[in-house]
Amino acid sequence: MKKSILDLYPTTKLLGVLFVFISILIVPGYAYQYAILPICMVIALLAGVLQSFCSLFFKGVTLIVLFIFIIQGFFYPGETVLWSGWIFSLKLEGLNYSLLLTSKIVAITASIILFFQITKTKDLIIALEKMGTPKKVTYVIMSTLQIIPQMRKQLNVIMDAQRSRGVETEGSLMIRAKAIVPVLGTLIISSFENTQERVITLESRAFTTQRKKTNVTVLPKGPLDTIVRIVLLLLLVLIIWKGVIG
Amino acid sequence: MSLLSMKNVSYRYPINNWKSLKQVTLNIEAGVFYAVIGAGGAGKTTLCSVFRGFIPHFYHGELEGEVQLFGKNLLQYELADIAARIGYLFQNPFTQISGAKETVFEEIAYGLENLGVEPAEIRKKVEDVIALLKLEKIAESNPTELSGGQKQRVAFASVIVMDPEVIIIDEPTSQLDPQGTEEIFRIIDLMKQRGKTIILVEHKMEWIAEFADRIIVMEDGQVVMQGDTQSILSNPKVMEHGGTLPQYAEVGLKLLGEEGIHQVPITRKQGELVFSKLQKGGAE
Amino acid sequence: MKRGLKKDFTLLAITMIPIGVAINVVAYQLMTILKMPIYLDVIGTCIVAMVAGPWVGLVTGGLGNVVNGMLNPVSIPFAITSMAIGLTAGYLSKYRMLVKPWRIIVSGLLIAVVSSATSSPIQVILFGGVTGQSGDIVMATLLATGKQIWTAVFSQTLLLGVVDKVLAILASSLIVYKMTPQFLSKMHYGDIYMRSKKMNRKGDQVK
Repeated sequence: MKKSILDLYPTTKLLGVLFVFISILIVPGYAYQYAILPICMVIALLAGVLQSFCSLFFKGVTLIVLFIFIIQGFFYPGETVLWSGWIFSLKLEGLNYSLLLTSKIVAITASIILFFQITKTKDLIIALEKMGTPKKVTYVIMSTLQIIPQMRKQLNVIMDAQRSRGVETEGSLMIRAKAIVPVLGTLIISSFENTQERVITLESRAFTTQRKKTNVTVLPKGPLDTIVRIVLLLLLVLIIWKGVIG
Repeated sequence: MSLLSMKNVSYRYPINNWKSLKQVTLNIEAGVFYAVIGAGGAGKTTLCSVFRGFIPHFYHGELEGEVQLFGKNLLQYELADIAARIGYLFQNPFTQISGAKETVFEEIAYGLENLGVEPAEIRKKVEDVIALLKLEKIAESNPTELSGGQKQRVAFASVIVMDPEVIIIDEPTSQLDPQGTEEIFRIIDLMKQRGKTIILVEHKMEWIAEFADRIIVMEDGQVVMQGDTQSILSNPKVMEHGGTLPQYAEVGLKLLGEEGIHQVPITRKQGELVFSKLQKGGAE
Repeated sequence: MKRGLKKDFTLLAITMIPIGVAINVVAYQLMTILKMPIYLDVIGTCIVAMVAGPWVGLVTGGLGNVVNGMLNPVSIPFAITSMAIGLTAGYLSKYRMLVKPWRIIVSGLLIAVVSSATSSPIQVILFGGVTGQSGDIVMATLLATGKQIWTAVFSQTLLLGVVDKVLAILASSLIVYKMTPQFLSKMHYGDIYMRSKKMNRKGDQVK
């Protein structure tokens, strides 16, 4: 089961996310939207990524949802008071608004996080290239994802080196501020200057040829892909139909 | 028939007000291993850039004279068309990793992917090169996490896999330790055995003496000496032009004329022969 | 040097984008480690916009949010803000607004306004005015004193944003001025910042 979910073609999974986006805007209320979260969690469990999914989701969304309820609950314009305390009154209109808003946020966030947990970026890039995305675009995406962790490590190395040279990183604001220039300055300048050589390297790898790029890794497209896509399409048609009829 | 040639070529970089190359005439013949030596700033890297077409296509500036690659004028080429025929490697291992790939295998395949080669053929070629350069242990590693020497070997693999006729290499071992240096020179020797035309810029004279066929000496933007390895690397004039000789040669020059020493040794093997001759002579 | 939406995306500009995004991340990381009250997380976008042009700057900004959004999708809609900052910084740079200290400070204020003006609507419409961070307390206070939510959100982001953006653009300008002529001469918009246009043999710079 785990393998079949992970092996789904990237575009199929992307269609799933798109389906969620469209359907949560058509279906009224907030129950369906909130329900997307447990569905995503089930898929995450089956794909073996439940732990990372949950830690990412709850870390990112919990505070926002909470604050929305607090702020909109108390300050959204409305008449129906549910609870009153001190100078604040919780209103029904605010609560309703919060439910509608947060349910959509939950659904979208859950589906996007799930997508990236069950899809390897490498595979997504291959699928994009097959669909005609230019080399330059896919290069920028892959290169960015690779270079960020690399530079973060570099920062730590530079900080240690500067600390051993006597640069202070704790103390008053001025002391800490003085650490910024030696640490960040050389890192930024050398990183940008190095791009000149990197361009030569890309040229040497025939990056600028006009030929259509191939990929050494071939992504399989199985029968499950077709099934999933058909199911999503049918569900979408059903939802739109129901939405139109009312 | 020369593979690559320059006739009266001069060049000035856009932001310099002096010329990096002055009236250079040079012929590169197929299958020969050329080593370019000379002091810093002599124009060696510029020479490489012209032969690879980066000058003028990438660096712009003022290029005078005639440059021919494979019988066609350089200015008629698109930079992309040269990539598959002339490989280019340089000093910095860190900037020679494309950054677009997560494993060494894919990194090596990248050039062939850009050239539009079929996946099955790419796979075979990459596997061949990995076996040839003994990169099996790191084939699945992330290129950004390798050591400098490993990165340089991956860079070599990425270029070699495209099977170019000419390989231009600019100081590949400057940032490597002695072991890394040896590994790179072994790779270069492999390419020589495969009949590639090689243009190598280097300072490590002992290694050049071992492998190069012909030497080109540059000074101040001009080619001041060229010839076969034995005669150039035993010629003290090289040092007047800002170059250095292999250690054996420097010592050998001083011993010239002594018992049985008629030729300046330039390689280790020759040096050992000379010393054993001297030892025998001294014993008598 | 040819410029324009399409022509700006040279191979060199393309390789700058990942660096710009990574610098944004790393600058923010450093500010966090040093416990500074500013983010400086637009520094990479600004530098790229200054030398590679407004459109490349725009892409750099937007990509940062998209990449971040893979783990925290809440940042994705704010790509609009980052793109607006990149675009603004690029045009300010092109019209020589970043060559003198006073102009740089004014530019910083302008960028702060653009940042708040683009992020506030997103914050209000999509997230009910909430960011999930400490700034919400400021905003809640403003709301409690009777202000409209749009005003509250705009004031909160502007207050916190001004110092951050001004410092970021100052730092970016300082850094761009330190870049080598070789590098700047290759960038479409870098010539304004070249300290000299020609070098003589000894490596001295000639005016």
